[in-house]
Amino acid sequence: MSAEYQAVLWNRNKKLYDLTIAAGVVVFLGLFVGIGVATRTQATIETLLIRGFGAGALLLLHVVLAIGPLCRLDPRFLPLLYNRRHLGVCTFLLALAHGGFSILQFHGLGVLNPLVSVLASNGNYDSLSQFPFQALGLLALVILFLLAATSHDFWLANLTAPVWKSLHMVVYVAYGLILAHVALGSLQAPERPTALAVLLGIGFAGIASLHLVAGWRERAPAPDAAAGHSAVDVCAVSDIPLDRARIFLLADERVAVFRYRAEGGERIAAVSNVCQHQNGPLGEGRVVDGCITCPWHGYQYRPEDGCSPPPFTETIPTFSVRVERDRVLVDPRPNPPGTHAEPARLGTASGAGEPS
Amino acid sequence: MSIVRAAEVVVLLCTVYIALGLAFAPFFVWRGVGRIDPAARSAGFGFRLIILPGVAALWPVLLRRWLAGRRPPSERNAHRDAAASRAGQASA
Ligand code: HEM
Ligand code: FES
Repeated sequence: MSAEYQAVLWNRNKKLYDLTIAAGVVVFLGLFVGIGVATRTQATIETLLIRGFGAGALLLLHVVLAIGPLCRLDPRFLPLLYNRRHLGVCTFLLALAHGGFSILQFHGLGVLNPLVSVLASNGNYDSLSQFPFQALGLLALVILFLLAATSHDFWLANLTAPVWKSLHMVVYVAYGLILAHVALGSLQAPERPTALAVLLGIGFAGIASLHLVAGWRERAPAPDAAAGHSAVDVCAVSDIPLDRARIFLLADERVAVFRYRAEGGERIAAVSNVCQHQNGPLGEGRVVDGCITCPWHGYQYRPEDGCSPPPFTETIPTFSVRVERDRVLVDPRPNPPGTHAEPARLGTASGAGEPS
Repeated sequence: MSIVRAAEVVVLLCTVYIALGLAFAPFFVWRGVGRIDPAARSAGFGFRLIILPGVAALWPVLLRRWLAGRRPPSERNAHRDAAASRAGQASA
């Protein structure tokens, strides 16, 4: 299969998503500045806007970081994931407005180059509490830029998935830098409300616990030796929605375990969760016309052998599965891409599971 | 070295790096991108514009790939690597 790159893959839902983001940003900024003007008359509009952009970026970043674990915990959050990149780009643009206007306002009028001034106007690099928080913000902004600039699928294909994924994990470094930026910023300006520090703590605790819970739920259960050749008991048959999958972490990557309708009854089959096209999450797709259909651009794979139907030639690794007493057992050793692994047939005692 | 001096050096190096990237990027999105990735060969203006900032930032990677005339790297992930090493063991 092939698909030309497009600038933005928009459809009705994604347009709605983007309109919602834009409306949310406008409402947030309006409320932030409005409330600021009403309650704190000494702050200028410029200052309020700078703070509003920063706070908006921080809030969006929390949303971006929460979406991943939320979707892993409950598939009803999945619609939020489809356009998460646009949320990320929007986070960067807000942060850019915040950083840009800050630099203009606080560093644009001196004799120094404004960027030099951001880095050097507060030289307390050896102090913890007086550390120049603007430099941390600048570094975070550079990271957010790199992530936004490489969010197009072109980068995923051309940097390769492992490199692209590692690059995008750096968002957690940016998050840490921003937490320090905001915490130090308010520490060094004692008139700033403590509400901000409290909100920051709540936000961090929320993000951290979501990740811990989602990771805990997805951890690979220890191989059950009694079940024979190190098959892993992943879940009950009824845990998998019909014509959909549940995702588990096995062999260092996600595995999508599908339950689907086929001739003669329901079956269960497991494949690597990673689409060959551009690494789309297959386990978040559906089985359509007997084929696993990628939610991103619609590439299809047969559940039993991980091959795209002819004339296409894509293949993904498969996993051998069995069903015993209504439990789904997956052999955690991936079969080479395109290997037939007999699906487990439901209703009968068990399905044979060896690659043939 | 004073902090101001150090900051000036950092900013100067970054400026030079980005200036080179900005000079390279238009040529790459016009000609180079189709060479290293067939799916970009007849892509539209919007696509070329949207990858431009990233090209300006990551230009050494792309310049190397363009000079080497390489195709997009083939897909790699933990499952493919594990399956390949299993197949290797089986045939050895
Ligand atoms: C070039 C980069 C940056 C510079 C120079 C910068 C500068 C500043 C300054 C001067 C303040 C204090 C504003 C005030 O109290 O009036 C501030 C606060 C803040 N910054 Fe940044 N910043 C940068 C990047 C970022 C980034 C990337 C984020 C995050 C997404 C961010 C989020 C915030 C937040 C949430 C506040 C607190 C806003 C408030 O008090 O309500 N900043 N920043
Ligand atoms: S990632 Fe494009 S179809 Fe799966």
